Amino acid sequence: MTSQLLKGLKVLELSEVWAGPMAGSLLGDLGADVIKVESYPRASQTRPTVDSPISKPGEGPPYERSPIHHLPNRNKRNIAIDLRHPDSAEVFKRLVRSADVLYEGYSAGTIQRMGWGWDVLREINPRLVMVSMPGWGVEGPYQGYVTLGSGLDASAGHTSVRGYPGDPPEETKPIYHSDATGALTLVFALVTALRRREQTGEGQYVDLSQIEVLAWQLPGIYAEWTMNHRLPKPLGNADPHVVPHDAYPAAGEDKWVFVAAENDAQWAAVAEVAGHPEWAADGHAWASMPGRLGARAEVDAAIAAFTSGLEASEAADAIASRGAIAAPIVAPAEMLGSAQLQSRNWFQLIDHRYAGMNLMPGFLWGIEPDAPSWDLPCGLVGEFNHEVLAEVGFSEDEIAALEAAGAIGDHYD
Amino acid sequence: MPQPLAGIRVIEVGGGAVSAASATKTFADYGAEVVAVEPLTGGLVRRLPPFPEDAPRLDAGAFHLALNTGKRSIALDVETASGREVLTRLIRGADLVVIEQPPAVARRLLDLVPDDGPSTVTISPHGLEGPYADRTENDASAFAWTTRMHLHAIPERPPLRYAPQLAAIQVGGTAAAVGAAAVWSKEHGGERRNIEVAAVEALGGNVDSFFITWSFTQVETARGPGQSHIAYPAGNYRCKDGYVMFAASGPRFFERLCQGIGHAELPTDPRFADPLLKGEHWDDFMTYLGPWLEARTKHEVFTELQGFGVMVAPTLEVSEVLTDPQAVARGSFVELEQPGVGTITLASAPFHLDEAWEAHPAPRLGQHTTELLDAAGYSRDEQIALFRAGVTG
Repeated sequence: MTSQLLKGLKVLELSEVWAGPMAGSLLGDLGADVIKVESYPRASQTRPTVDSPISKPGEGPPYERSPIHHLPNRNKRNIAIDLRHPDSAEVFKRLVRSADVLYEGYSAGTIQRMGWGWDVLREINPRLVMVSMPGWGVEGPYQGYVTLGSGLDASAGHTSVRGYPGDPPEETKPIYHSDATGALTLVFALVTALRRREQTGEGQYVDLSQIEVLAWQLPGIYAEWTMNHRLPKPLGNADPHVVPHDAYPAAGEDKWVFVAAENDAQWAAVAEVAGHPEWAADGHAWASMPGRLGARAEVDAAIAAFTSGLEASEAADAIASRGAIAAPIVAPAEMLGSAQLQSRNWFQLIDHRYAGMNLMPGFLWGIEPDAPSWDLPCGLVGEFNHEVLAEVGFSEDEIAALEAAGAIGDHYD
Repeated sequence: MPQPLAGIRVIEVGGGAVSAASATKTFADYGAEVVAVEPLTGGLVRRLPPFPEDAPRLDAGAFHLALNTGKRSIALDVETASGREVLTRLIRGADLVVIEQPPAVARRLLDLVPDDGPSTVTISPHGLEGPYADRTENDASAFAWTTRMHLHAIPERPPLRYAPQLAAIQVGGTAAAVGAAAVWSKEHGGERRNIEVAAVEALGGNVDSFFITWSFTQVETARGPGQSHIAYPAGNYRCKDGYVMFAASGPRFFERLCQGIGHAELPTDPRFADPLLKGEHWDDFMTYLGPWLEARTKHEVFTELQGFGVMVAPTLEVSEVLTDPQAVARGSFVELEQPGVGTITLASAPFHLDEAWEAHPAPRLGQHTTELLDAAGYSRDEQIALFRAGVTG
């Protein structure tokens, strides 16, 4: 059984793609009873209804074999309800009445239009904590706007500082960092709102903006402007005040090692591994921080000259074991090569009805005495319809009627 | 109304590291009492630029001002017996201790926490045990270990980090989430937990790592271009006054986009209807989209196409972020009077709950040493002895 920090809390998740679902997995890891109310009858964006190049090969519906759907959907019970179907209203009401928390990732205003806004839900359950987590938040002129993490990254100013100096913005990669931080913040926000519920005895509504979550995590680039009126620009991997600090080529095609020396002792370690201890000796131009700052290109070339003859992990091991900073820049499969992650049994081998046995990334944290465990693999569409609806008082006949009417379901056409 | 986390006491023994400072900031801003136990020399969070007028000072760096809001600071050498005794008293009555120290130091500090004491969250690059446990990492190298740096690059170019300290702050956010759950548990009859947050695991286990895609297919996720000409439009596209970020390559959003630019016929056009053929006709599609974008500002593109439900966003410079209409309407940034620095601008609440979030100025290094030692029961003579021996500051 997984960790029990949030034991006893029943959470309804109405979200898709990444940020909201990942939050549900984290809450499940922590012992909450998370019920994922799956999008139905329209499959969510992470559940393609035809096989794609990234689907796990195999039998069964393609939407049950999508890797980008599996990771953020562990440790929760999946039910599939058409919330726009008239017959589903009583189901949803009873679920809301039974829950501590409901969170939703629709675009702002959508849940109100579906007839399930905060004003309605608080009447059904006066002790409910509800969190809405649209990209730009609920209140404000962008209500109803849709986005993925890449759009929030762009509008938060992060995209404009990512990249190589001088490259055209067309070459900047879209990234989805705000999904990771949005998920984490939702967990914190729930605990905060639950504590407020205890202070007041009343339910709470939280307006969580994923772009505001990202904003407080970018203090350096904002302060360039607010403090010193400079526009930050892409710097590649360089740190203006640390040399070396970059990705250097390693042996093999497209293999790289990150190396940094943040002080003189770390630099001496790098110099020793390079076979040039004199680089760090008094009198050498590169021995001091200012000396290295003034010779960035030469230092970078000298480091690349020795790293390019070594495997990335070999170079990193040699430098890191002497106390400087170095890491192989790993592609996804190369994470498996980490002796550290292996020694900690971090990867999880998980069996799934349609995706079979797969090695999954491990948990974000370790907990003693009750360690997290992967109790429930990614739920099938509507897998827990019967169990969850029975818990809120529906008979088998009633559940069968709901199925027949299309208010609930267990597959996509 | 009290703030929602009022009554919670958090002790940060983070060595002034960025992850620990980030972890406790959110607690402080929502009302917890946070004591930052800082090294006498001040840690990295106080040493990171930018600084006003580029003049480095321990009490004026942007990361310190943003991440240490509302905390009380005690400067203490926790690697001395006397320092550890002070820490033992500070921990008494606390609800959570957040540690970020080298493993050997962290273990000694964990030994100070009594069995009936607070839960702990110990942050480290690789965890306290294992062959890499003693390695030093920084924000970028921890990131390198976790796939995103590799994927965050276009083909033929070196891998690329994100903004400075963003990975370290994510690790702090991870510690905050699980730490809050531990406090909640103990307040509701649960037991004390010892929690470990290893940076590589916290980053590698989150949702934007593509390990699982490899695991399902045994095929590495290709490092695609910034702007895909196969599945389009996605990525940065030029418009009249800058760029917009599209995520509109899927059929549903592509159809809405075509309507939005006045070409509702394109989704059924044989060149674009078949996803397998669509990739051969990006140039053709740009004869429709390109001129439409060139005639509009990024804000016009954003608001017009969002009216059709298209996933598109303006790619803003940092200066524009602060005056973005949504940010202004929501108060996403606030001004704060920071003693010794002047008026500073900070990002506001990450989630809105009535009267829940307040930012107070970050403390000077050791600003609260005396009051915290008074409260811990140290006489002034004892405090002088600790100060003279270089244990406090």
